[in-house]
Amino acid sequence: MSTSSAISVQGLTKDFRVGLRGIKLRAVDNLSLEIPRGQVFGLLGPNGCGKSTTLKIVLGLIPATSGAISILGFPSATTEARQRTGFLPEAPYFHKFLTGRELVQYCARLSGVPSAQVHDAVEASLELAAMTEAASRPIGTYSKGMLQRIGLAQAIVHDPELVILDEPTAGVDPVGSAAIGRMINAMRAKGKTIVLCSHLLGQVEQVCDRVAIMDRGRLVLEGRVDEVLAQRDRHVITVAYLTPQARQAAEAALAAHGATVTSITHPRRSLEDLFRELVTGSRDA
Amino acid sequence: MNARLNRTSWIARITFLEAIRQRFFAFLLVLSAAMVVSSVSLRFMDFGHSELKFVADFAFGGMFLFGSVLALVMTAQLFFAEIENRTALTLLAKPLSRTEFLLGKFLGTWAVLGVFVFSLAFLQGIILWSRTQELIVMAAETGRVAPDFSVSGLASFAVLQWLRLGVVAAMVLMVSAVARTFLFTVIVGAMAIVAGQLQWLAQEALLKPSDASVVTKSLLWVSSRVIPNLQQFNIGDTLVLDPTAISGAAVWSVILSGLFYLVAFLALASLAFRRREI
Ligand SMILES: Nc1ncnc2c1ncn2[C@@H]1O[C@H](COP(=O)(O)OP(=O)(O)OP(=O)(O)O)[C@@H](O)[C@H]1O
Ligand SMILES: [Mg+2]
Repeated sequence: MSTSSAISVQGLTKDFRVGLRGIKLRAVDNLSLEIPRGQVFGLLGPNGCGKSTTLKIVLGLIPATSGAISILGFPSATTEARQRTGFLPEAPYFHKFLTGRELVQYCARLSGVPSAQVHDAVEASLELAAMTEAASRPIGTYSKGMLQRIGLAQAIVHDPELVILDEPTAGVDPVGSAAIGRMINAMRAKGKTIVLCSHLLGQVEQVCDRVAIMDRGRLVLEGRVDEVLAQRDRHVITVAYLTPQARQAAEAALAAHGATVTSITHPRRSLEDLFRELVTGSRDA
Repeated sequence: MNARLNRTSWIARITFLEAIRQRFFAFLLVLSAAMVVSSVSLRFMDFGHSELKFVADFAFGGMFLFGSVLALVMTAQLFFAEIENRTALTLLAKPLSRTEFLLGKFLGTWAVLGVFVFSLAFLQGIILWSRTQELIVMAAETGRVAPDFSVSGLASFAVLQWLRLGVVAAMVLMVSAVARTFLFTVIVGAMAIVAGQLQWLAQEALLKPSDASVVTKSLLWVSSRVIPNLQQFNIGDTLVLDPTAISGAAVWSVILSGLFYLVAFLALASLAFRRREI
């Protein structure tokens, strides 16, 4: 196991026994993964492909059937490893009789934040998750997006080196999602490692340095985002004022060198860019 | 070690807070208090010792019954439901061992049960005292012997009941650690309480010479060892009204056996919980 990795997973397999007869269901199949430190790592895949299961095994919440895992050089499921890790579970659910602030305080205490620092740490993480305003309300009254955000606050209150977020943007509005994206960038700037599970591919593409794609429990692709998305044998040339004559001439000139033009289209902005351009200057931008 | 204690005590604190903020606790407490208070209305022609005994027994019965329900439901609620509704998921991802979590849950629940038992015992003390004052006056008028009750006996009784509820909570915790559904936890927990109440029958049967088969005998022997005797804690009326009839050593042996079962159940629960999928 490499100590330079934030998370090192080797040959991880997980079988669930389901039903009365205990039929085996392979949720994760011989998965090996190295997640480097200081980067944002996206774990993608369709529903039920084993992402959440993998994360839960990494955190020691469920035992693996076989395989070895280490977190920041410590064997997973040890308190040393979890001391340095923050986790936001998918569709989180918290004690609804506590207020948001009480929950984050409680988590700070459990994570060993020294008493003198609890107050500041709690307020800082509430601020970061944009939950200061609703922090004195009972969690039972929170909306889905607020639950996600208070979940984020409790995950980072002890300033962990590694933050694992399982679908942090599920149920969060576009402005909230963008805020979470910025939070992730801010954490990376502080040298943290972030593991992100998300179905928002656009956002993953923007914030992640590396991605892994899983399908039916297996790893099908892993690499740097710009590398896996770049088509090395294709090029895009953006031209202004392309007349039909100019186009013919250009095609002929390229053909003389053995190159073919495969498509000519208008470049498109992403909806996200257009949206941002139109709404910049809004309170949250 | 210090950090461990700290984390355990935080789990216990929040568990306590959760229980206290629930309506169910307040409801049972008020119900039991009403039962203790209503025991005053039970008046007899023979206003002496037997009346006090009846008043005491009635209140003890309420404490015993509602205490058992509270210990069963609260433990299932505060521990099992926490796993089922996945609030435990967030907590167990913290630097916290499973044993610390389980122990914290137990201590928080036990503290709630302590609030229940001691506030009721306090209330009962007041009722017994005021009734005794009345009876003393009446006894002086009729020339009878005035009845009395022992305050320290009542205190020891409260401690014993608290311990008994602790054993019940530890038992339910053990069931929760392996259970898959809330209903299973509550039903098996209730069966364990009933078995504990009836355990002395197995002990008695063993003592009597009989021609029962070896299988029956070994079953009886096993159940008399594995199941705690919950009936042995119910010595309230003797402790309160006739404290000389019971020796300190007998009370201590009940306390030690209770502590033994409590620790054993917690250890088993922690063992079972360690590999549980959350
Ligand atoms: N406790 C469990 N018992 C039995 N099967 C389970 C259990 N948890 C997960 N599974 C199964 O394991 C597979 C992987 O589930 P997992 O939750 O890891 O998927 P996921 O990739 O996180 O999906 P999603 O995108 O929907 O969150 C699924 O087929 C699921 O049914
Ligand atoms: Mg998932």
